[in-house]
Amino acid sequence: MNKTGIGLLVAAALTALSASAFAQKPKASAPSAEAAPEEAAGGDDAAAGAEAGAGAATDEGDELPPEEESGLAAICKLDPAACPKVDFDREAQKDLREQIYAVQQVFALRARRFELNPYWSLTLNDQFVSHPAPGLAFNYYISNVMAVGLNGNFYRPFNVDSEFNAIHRRAARVQVPLSEYDWSAALNFTYVPAYGKFAGFQDFIFHYDAYVVGGVGAISTRPIAVVDPDNRNFEYKPKVALNAGLGLRIFFNRWFAANLEVRDYIFIDEIEATTIAANPRDDSKWTDESSITNNVQAQLGFSIFIPFSFDYRLPK
Amino acid sequence: MGTKTMMTRTIRRALTALTAAAALLGAAQEASAQEILLTGPLAGAPAVRKLRLYREGRIEVAPAAAFTLLDEYQRTIVVGARFNYNLTDWFAVGLWGGWGGLKFNTDLTDKTQEINAQRKKAFHDRGNVLTPSDRLTAVNMGSNLEEQLGGMDWVIAPQLTGVPFRGKLALFDSINVDADMYFFAGPAFVGLTEREDCKLGQCPNKFGTASRVAIAPTFGLGFTFYVNQWNAVGLEWRGIPYSYNPAGFDTRGRGTDERFPDDRIDDKDRQFKFNQMLTVSWNFYFPKEYRISE
Repeated sequence: MNKTGIGLLVAAALTALSASAFAQKPKASAPSAEAAPEEAAGGDDAAAGAEAGAGAATDEGDELPPEEESGLAAICKLDPAACPKVDFDREAQKDLREQIYAVQQVFALRARRFELNPYWSLTLNDQFVSHPAPGLAFNYYISNVMAVGLNGNFYRPFNVDSEFNAIHRRAARVQVPLSEYDWSAALNFTYVPAYGKFAGFQDFIFHYDAYVVGGVGAISTRPIAVVDPDNRNFEYKPKVALNAGLGLRIFFNRWFAANLEVRDYIFIDEIEATTIAANPRDDSKWTDESSITNNVQAQLGFSIFIPFSFDYRLPK
Repeated sequence: MGTKTMMTRTIRRALTALTAAAALLGAAQEASAQEILLTGPLAGAPAVRKLRLYREGRIEVAPAAAFTLLDEYQRTIVVGARFNYNLTDWFAVGLWGGWGGLKFNTDLTDKTQEINAQRKKAFHDRGNVLTPSDRLTAVNMGSNLEEQLGGMDWVIAPQLTGVPFRGKLALFDSINVDADMYFFAGPAFVGLTEREDCKLGQCPNKFGTASRVAIAPTFGLGFTFYVNQWNAVGLEWRGIPYSYNPAGFDTRGRGTDERFPDDRIDDKDRQFKFNQMLTVSWNFYFPKEYRISE
């Protein structure tokens, strides 16, 4: 029974610990607690500024406890030279030159956190063969706005040759060279220039950020034999691929977010030859040109930030 | 006795673990969001105060350009405008319309036409002797594929708009832009041009186009970024699913499920397309002054 009691105590301690893990620390003073929601979602900037100023003043006040508690009066009595001579009325009239950020205390700080981002990708620009794929990205945020990471996609079992290809081949007697993908992997850099918050139905607030991402890696592809499928059998080959994209992340809490990204993987792809050589089994004649290919895909997934909690450097 | 003690211990340990797990789960919920103060001075207060009501009671006029996506044969730019009357800050009635006169061939169209032109030339060079390819494409392609392509000429769509999300965006930690996210839906009346119908035996000599109006649902979502009190930049995605014959080919009408060509061009050759477009707009709001909520 004693162990059960210990377990309950541990659970209670854990609960208390998590409550204190709120990144936005609740303040003791009522005015600053009131100020927090008022500056949300497009409220008056001037008002927000004033609120921030008021908050700062309150913080300052909090740092100086009452004289009888601090012993300030006693110090002045002992050493009048050390007694602080501050005209509080004059100080209060001075202009505040504090930097006010567009969004105070970003909801989820990213600096020195890992991001794990599993996703499902859909092809946006290939009408002929779609390349849906599961993918995984792993990023480390060097600062709050900059990350370095890796991502990979696994396409092989998911390539879909559209019915449109057969219709076009039959109607126009024109072969459209097609390609299918195996996998891709890339080293990426992410920059987060934009973040903000939305009020939903004037009832709840959620936070989001937008980022740009770019990198270099490889993608393994091969042509689908449509011109001479009886003789041609292509192998997957990796090619160098650059990538660039834009993303939007919507935070459900400080470590979990939904993620939508549009990424363009650019590489030079081999195209199946539309003519058949005298020796159709000569694989050196199976491809006759290369072309720059853009594989634009939408990546929908979620992000998990590790560690789950963080501390703000400055109070609000 | 020993077995009973062990069982009791195991049960106790399990209970302890379950309690700890429940506490952890509870902790995860606690740590998940912005605090909601159910008591005290903020009880019952709205999520946002002093909200700039960019929409309420204002007319929105938004010149726009829409770019079609995932077209097989022809891309279209629809130039038009959106008109909305915002009954509240979160609900509007309006109309979107545009002219789809700017059309551009895809690479597939250009390559197919290149081969088609070579075939026609070879046919004349041979003294009008038909090859199997000539015979098989006789119903489908005239001298110029571009002239038989189908596409959107104009569109008008009365629509309802809901604006559930309203917020702000900070760029480079310095520029602050108010923004909203909206959803819209309504019926669309689409003026189309596509290859005209032809009967058995007529089609190799009939490659003209005809117009008709398709009625289809339209829906989508968009973002508005407010530049000042009465100007904004808009970006939206729109879907308009409907059937048409994009290349003027005979693709269906005979065989199992009518999945084989029947040497006729008619409504069976229309293909269902989930037509999509991205729209950019510059929005103007009248009157120029907005109200601010409590």
